[in-house]
Amino acid sequence: MSDFTRRLPVYLLLDTSGSMSGDPIEAVKQGVKALISELRGDPQALETAYLSVITFNSQARQVTPLTELMLFKEPQISAGGATAFGAALSLLADCIRNEVRKSTETQKGDWKPLVFILTDGAPTDDWRSAAEELKATHPANIIACAAGAYADTTVLKELTECVLMMNNLSAGDLAQFFTWVSSSIKMSSKSLDAKPGANIELPPPPQGFVIVP
Amino acid sequence: MADKLAEATLASGKRIPYVITDNPPRGGMKYTYFAPDKSYVVQFFNDPEDAADPNIQSRIEAIISRYNPTLPESKGGAKGNDERIAAYFAGRFCWPTGIVVDPEFGIVCPTYPKSFFFDESSSPVINLKGKDKKSNWFTSKNRRYLAPHELGDLRSMMQMSLLLARSIRRLHQAGLAHSDLSNNNVLIDPKTGNCVVIDIDSLVVPGLYPPEVAGTRGYIAPEVLESLNLDMNDPNRISPSSYTDLHALGVLIYEYLFLRHPLIGPKIYDMDSAENDDYLALGSKATFIENPDDTSNRPKDLYVTIKDLGPILEKLFLRTFVDGLHNPEYRPTAMEWERGLVKTWDLLHHCSNPSCEQKWFVLYDSSVTKCPYCGHRIAEKEIVRLKLKQEIRGHEGQWRDYAEVDVVNNTPLFKWHFQSSVFPDEKADKTLQAYICRHNGEWFLINRNADGLMSPEGNSVPSGQAIKLYDGAVFRMYRGERGLLAEISITKVR
Repeated sequence: MSDFTRRLPVYLLLDTSGSMSGDPIEAVKQGVKALISELRGDPQALETAYLSVITFNSQARQVTPLTELMLFKEPQISAGGATAFGAALSLLADCIRNEVRKSTETQKGDWKPLVFILTDGAPTDDWRSAAEELKATHPANIIACAAGAYADTTVLKELTECVLMMNNLSAGDLAQFFTWVSSSIKMSSKSLDAKPGANIELPPPPQGFVIVP
Repeated sequence: MADKLAEATLASGKRIPYVITDNPPRGGMKYTYFAPDKSYVVQFFNDPEDAADPNIQSRIEAIISRYNPTLPESKGGAKGNDERIAAYFAGRFCWPTGIVVDPEFGIVCPTYPKSFFFDESSSPVINLKGKDKKSNWFTSKNRRYLAPHELGDLRSMMQMSLLLARSIRRLHQAGLAHSDLSNNNVLIDPKTGNCVVIDIDSLVVPGLYPPEVAGTRGYIAPEVLESLNLDMNDPNRISPSSYTDLHALGVLIYEYLFLRHPLIGPKIYDMDSAENDDYLALGSKATFIENPDDTSNRPKDLYVTIKDLGPILEKLFLRTFVDGLHNPEYRPTAMEWERGLVKTWDLLHHCSNPSCEQKWFVLYDSSVTKCPYCGHRIAEKEIVRLKLKQEIRGHEGQWRDYAEVDVVNNTPLFKWHFQSSVFPDEKADKTLQAYICRHNGEWFLINRNADGLMSPEGNSVPSGQAIKLYDGAVFRMYRGERGLLAEISITKVR
């Protein structure tokens, strides 16, 4: 029989600016790897989640288009350059427009995408208009994580209500972040349901992470 | 952080060790730590308010004692439960065995048996070792990632369906309701045809404050989903009950037997919002994909249908997903499912195509000439049926159809094939009574242990002796009260 399962598009927006180089970027790579392996072991996530990775430094680039988990190949990621956060947000909006399926009379549209943003600094480009547009049109549920002492949480708050902060950019904290992302995706793929319009449910953040009010 | 050994104190005063790990497995309500030897788990609540809730505490106390079918009455379990029945249901449920009072309120559960965990050979493409066997590995497109030896066949899927129906019947018989039956809360092992019901702590217990769970997407009854936006205390809000369990039970059985969801089809209910479309598709507008009167949600490529499982199960599915979909009181009970599955079990016929994936199909009458799964024609030259009839009460000598058995060489017969008062449930005597075999082209019923078996000529057939069977032979399976009448039919396959 044909498959009528709806897809859950997941976008990872990863900061790969110069300040991420060294251990942090290696931890991010390991994190993506662990995320994929973890999600492949969860039947609901495997059935519904599709993943894309967008990186941003001096430019923004979609390094992996929206791909089903079993076909996902780890992207080549390296750090260096500035923090073109605005460009990343515009690219995200484009990708959602192009990749996320809308319902038609004959095809089931995708679930509202989940977006996880990880950044360790402040934008170096004009980000305000792109953020405002995303906040106004709300094409996705966005969860942003400010990593380390230099991340600008006020910028992230302009974009989404859901902002997390981790105090340092250690490999351990980054690993925990990706574990939490995987739990969030698993939880979302299970509880895609119920009351339309209700807030998405996320697991409690890992120890040492705080929710920015 | 490395794993850390900790100790929990139970309500009984006993102290037991467990291992604190980072990122423990987390469900909607609780998170789990394992015993050092993994023989049991200790579970705590995600929300400290739940852990402190006296309603939750008293519910769990009732569940582990006077409502516990996995504990004999003599040890404080359910009334009337003996050692044998308790042992039987201990294999069917992962029932909590104790209450943790320190470091905080929690429960202790046995770990489920090894067969409900994948091993390294379970999938050639994903490392699934140690993951539990949630049913949507087997009933969704995820199937394609599993090794063939994990997948089971129609017979093992039917056995699981039967065991699940029996487990739910046992809960309902005690007035309990599971309230969150779903693909996550029933683990299955299609390879051996076994299943186990888990997450027993959110049961609805008669007279006690009900759990605040709504259920899981795809298994929540439409009436519960529709009223989910109402306040907890709104009288129009519909809470989980045995009726809503019966919706989830039907969905699970349908998924096991057809490997697809009964309500998720091509129909679009809302083009603008996926979330609202889904809400309608599983709630107020839910439409069975095989609804005979409304084909708006019917997939174009539906090849095997409820008709292929024979009229007994077809009717049960129609009652669940057509009559009862929006009218809970029309849903068949778990006992009706149990009985319907037992009767259909006797009609399973082995497909002679060695590469048939389902290996078995339901040969419900002589109109079936080929396997519905692979299209292979029936290879046998003749179909032999044992048709059992029950005497109509108060009308001596008048009989009505009771059950049928598809007979092949060495078909075993049990007490429930002899007397209508015996039902093949957990209490039934499973001693072989007789069997039917083929010898030199002729069919015989060999009596091994049955009392009161009569020949077509009306003579007693003691154990050790046989009845020669022929088309049209009629005889009593049991001479005493509520004994069944047998009629043999042998038809040539066209």
